[in-house]
Amino acid sequence: MANFRSIIATISITIISISLSNALYEDQVGKFDWKRSFIGKVKHARFDNKRLIVTSHENVVASLSLKNDQILWRQVMENPQEQQPLHLHVDKDVITVSGNRNNHYVRGWDSPTGSLLWEWVIATEKSADSFWLVKDDTLVHIAPFPGSHMEVTHYNAKTGEVRWKTRKIPETWVGGTNKCAIANPYFVCVSNGQLFWFNVVNSDANTHRSQSVQTLIGESDPGNLHLLEFEGPKPAVLLVRNNNAKVVEVDEETAKALPYSLISNAIYVENAIYQLEANLENPDKLIKVKSLNLLTGQEGLSVEVDYPLGLGGPYIVAGQCRGGVCDLLLSSTDNALTLVRLPEGKVIWTREEALSNIVSVEFFELPVSELDASIEKEFAIASNDVVSMFSHRISTQTRQLYNLVLSGQLLGNSGLVRDEFGLHRIIVVATNVGKLFGIDTLTGSIVWTYRLPNVKPFKDSAMMLLVQRTARYAPLPAQCVLLAEDANTGAGVSFTFDPISGMSQRGIERLGYKIKQAFLLPHEDDDHVKPIVVVASDNAVHVYPDEGRSVVQKHSDTTFLYMLDGTIMRGYKIKANFALTQVWEVNLGPSELVAVSTRPINERVHSQGRVLPDRSVYYKYVNPNLVALATLHDDPIHKHVLSVYLIDGVTGLVLYSASHKKAKGPVHLVHSENWLVYSFFNERFRRNEIVAAELYEGHIQSNSTAFSSFGVSQLPHIQTQSYITPANPVSMTVTLTERGITNKFLLVGMSSGSVVEIPWMLLQPRFADIACGPEESCIPYMPEIPLPAEAIINYNQTLSRIRRIEVAPAKLESTSHVLVHGLDLFYTRVAPSKTFDLLKEDFDHKLIVLVLSGLIIASYVTKYLASKKTLRQAWK
Amino acid sequence: MSSKHQNKRLKWSLDAVRNRSLTEGLAPPPAYSLSGPAVSSEVSKKTDVSRLITKKSWDLALAPLKQVPMNLFIMYMAGNSISIFPIMMVGMLLMRPIQAIWATKSTFKMVENTSAVGQIFVYLLGNFINIGLALYKCQSMGLLPTHSSDWLAFVEPPVRLEYLGGGVTLL
Repeated sequence: MANFRSIIATISITIISISLSNALYEDQVGKFDWKRSFIGKVKHARFDNKRLIVTSHENVVASLSLKNDQILWRQVMENPQEQQPLHLHVDKDVITVSGNRNNHYVRGWDSPTGSLLWEWVIATEKSADSFWLVKDDTLVHIAPFPGSHMEVTHYNAKTGEVRWKTRKIPETWVGGTNKCAIANPYFVCVSNGQLFWFNVVNSDANTHRSQSVQTLIGESDPGNLHLLEFEGPKPAVLLVRNNNAKVVEVDEETAKALPYSLISNAIYVENAIYQLEANLENPDKLIKVKSLNLLTGQEGLSVEVDYPLGLGGPYIVAGQCRGGVCDLLLSSTDNALTLVRLPEGKVIWTREEALSNIVSVEFFELPVSELDASIEKEFAIASNDVVSMFSHRISTQTRQLYNLVLSGQLLGNSGLVRDEFGLHRIIVVATNVGKLFGIDTLTGSIVWTYRLPNVKPFKDSAMMLLVQRTARYAPLPAQCVLLAEDANTGAGVSFTFDPISGMSQRGIERLGYKIKQAFLLPHEDDDHVKPIVVVASDNAVHVYPDEGRSVVQKHSDTTFLYMLDGTIMRGYKIKANFALTQVWEVNLGPSELVAVSTRPINERVHSQGRVLPDRSVYYKYVNPNLVALATLHDDPIHKHVLSVYLIDGVTGLVLYSASHKKAKGPVHLVHSENWLVYSFFNERFRRNEIVAAELYEGHIQSNSTAFSSFGVSQLPHIQTQSYITPANPVSMTVTLTERGITNKFLLVGMSSGSVVEIPWMLLQPRFADIACGPEESCIPYMPEIPLPAEAIINYNQTLSRIRRIEVAPAKLESTSHVLVHGLDLFYTRVAPSKTFDLLKEDFDHKLIVLVLSGLIIASYVTKYLASKKTLRQAWK
Repeated sequence: MSSKHQNKRLKWSLDAVRNRSLTEGLAPPPAYSLSGPAVSSEVSKKTDVSRLITKKSWDLALAPLKQVPMNLFIMYMAGNSISIFPIMMVGMLLMRPIQAIWATKSTFKMVENTSAVGQIFVYLLGNFINIGLALYKCQSMGLLPTHSSDWLAFVEPPVRLEYLGGGVTLL
């Protein structure tokens, strides 16, 4: 019987989940979603005929096309926080070495297709910053131990078989990363004003050679020296001294410095050395490429590059010359990648790799078109002059007619106007390198960029994008503020800009104090600008703009602030004299804070209760001031204990707490409406679990008109239920709609690269004492959450390293915008209750119009015929 | 046989006086009245029509009440599920008495008797009973907004009195 019931439950769940999730049809692919792939900041690059092979700081190997900015293939390796690419060698196959100080992965890739050919691991006990060298099919691993010795091992690059056992070479001159370099087959170091080199490939040589730097560069004071790799025709290194570099060629006997000096970023391509210089003569083309003859240092061509203005300072990564045409790959301080073709100096393509590391996202409504604005103006003008109003009306309507006829052309001219359903938006994105992007939601193209030099995110993970004014107030432009940290001083930086055009009137403002916390007030001032309250490190309160101070003063008794310092949570109140007073403090004990979640500011809860099968109402406890927290702490018996708290941020009242023994991160928290969902890893059963908790007031609403955190008559009732997920969640969020009528979907990014929508109905805790079945329109509880393939919103487009999922409501109640970012950028729209407020795409407007007009014509014709007939009959 | 007949006749004969004149003619037979029946027939004719009208009006007045058992049977047969036929039936049950109430005046127009107040009252009562039955049916089908959940969609979200900002310190 139980078995039968479980079968019924499975079937009903499958049916319900299929009907709840709205999969995509094949012809809808790419219709309203787009994906952009990135590789991150480039570390190594090699040209391989018609393609480029690169590795990046995101621990990615990729091949780029030379014709356009497309990625031919991309392979994502281990987590870049732990492992980095260390060496790239392009020969017949592509060989990469990546890893950390102890473990190294050697991989071979097929260069046209990117498929993995072989892979083997070098694990060493002692950790060192290794040097790598590939000669023929031998991989040489050099592990220097500065001041004492180095260990050299030869491997077969393909199989990992040891060709020559680890040799310990006792050399005291061996140094660290920038004091040594590889000049194939030599290992070159500079130490105490002397240049040492040692042949690590050849088995005969077992002693080093040395030469004084003084004899090489001809100066008595060697100063601060370091070495860089230089791939010339002969084994050579770049000897850098005070930003002045010289090529030093090395052979078995002697070292020889070439008689000219370079800047440290110079590369050798086919008999010439290329380096970049600032071009001060032409303000449109700021960068110049210069070439030098390798042997003599004689200046060859000097080309002004058509370098895009918005990009940061460039440096050359790699180059290739074929038949008089040279390609140079430039990388810039804002991680952009540019391919420049010489001798024209033309930029073939630019890739904005900054987008591979997004720290903050905001969706913006577009302003109304000029025409709509003029119509609105008509009502704004308070003139009673009939003639002027009449002429205004006539002129607007003429323009309207004109636009109707030439609508296609107009749209092309000014594409960034609001559409009917609010589906066309601008996504403003702040990246880790301090570059801002405006991205069009319809096409995914970059509308504007703005580079903020010397700006970094708070704690290397977050910048704050605060929307002060939306584009709703027609003549006034939208206004947005970015808060970040100065990269040098750590002080706060604020940047006010128009998110639609990317223009800024005031530019970057350095605040001169460290920002502790900041938030946006919900109340507007006379210019419809919401003031920002910034708390400095000394708890001083600053308000931007200054006009907002009166707004803060006016609402000071209802404005509260909480700050989490480790696991100590403090509540503050802003006084009318702009001072912070601490009101309460909650100490969560010696543990680590792993997740914090609050309700989205613009979320609206439409339904105030849940309808029970007996048609009574169980009222929700909707507290907008709730803060959900999760902490992990070590325990001698249970290994790790996960604690989840719901704390009222105004009063500091702990409304709910729960703990899970033998639980491990990563923990993801989502708090919305009256519920909380969190996921964690259960170490006891070795599986991922999701817990849902819901808060209810009971059958009677204590105060139906206003909500105050201070008016607590009784604690809310809490229902909980937990589930098992078959996949590993890496990010979690919930859909958001304009009025909150539409059902809620949980969007869960999985480590496999898919984003799955899970209906909240599936997770909603069931009441223990109330029957649950199809009659009550309730899905029976099943411990395992089904993840059908139709529920994957990114269908077959795998997204690498999903970092976060951002959601914004569209004007259409059924729809919300979704942006998934990580190494890839994916935008789509989701409709949790299907598009109930929109006609289907295949709705036949033409047929309806045709049928209606046909009927009208037919009725008139028959009317005429009938009258004719009666006339004829009357004559008879 | 004849004598016997004679005897019988004699038995009831009142002809004690032999000298009755022929001009008087024959006395009317017993229990025959020359005037009586004419008068009485006229009276009976009159009372018959009024009785018929009363009867008819009572029929009219009682018709809704007579429908009650039938309606109960229909309600029982229709069941409580929400589908097209039960809905149609409930609609009919509800609409008919309401229409009938509206049309009360015209229904009782043919009864020109002024003393039809009682009938009208009974008629209305019957219709109200039918409406009540229909409403009971709606109630048992769950079509009446009598629960708090039916008004949930109109409950406005409470106004927020305090505003909270903040988060993890950015230092």
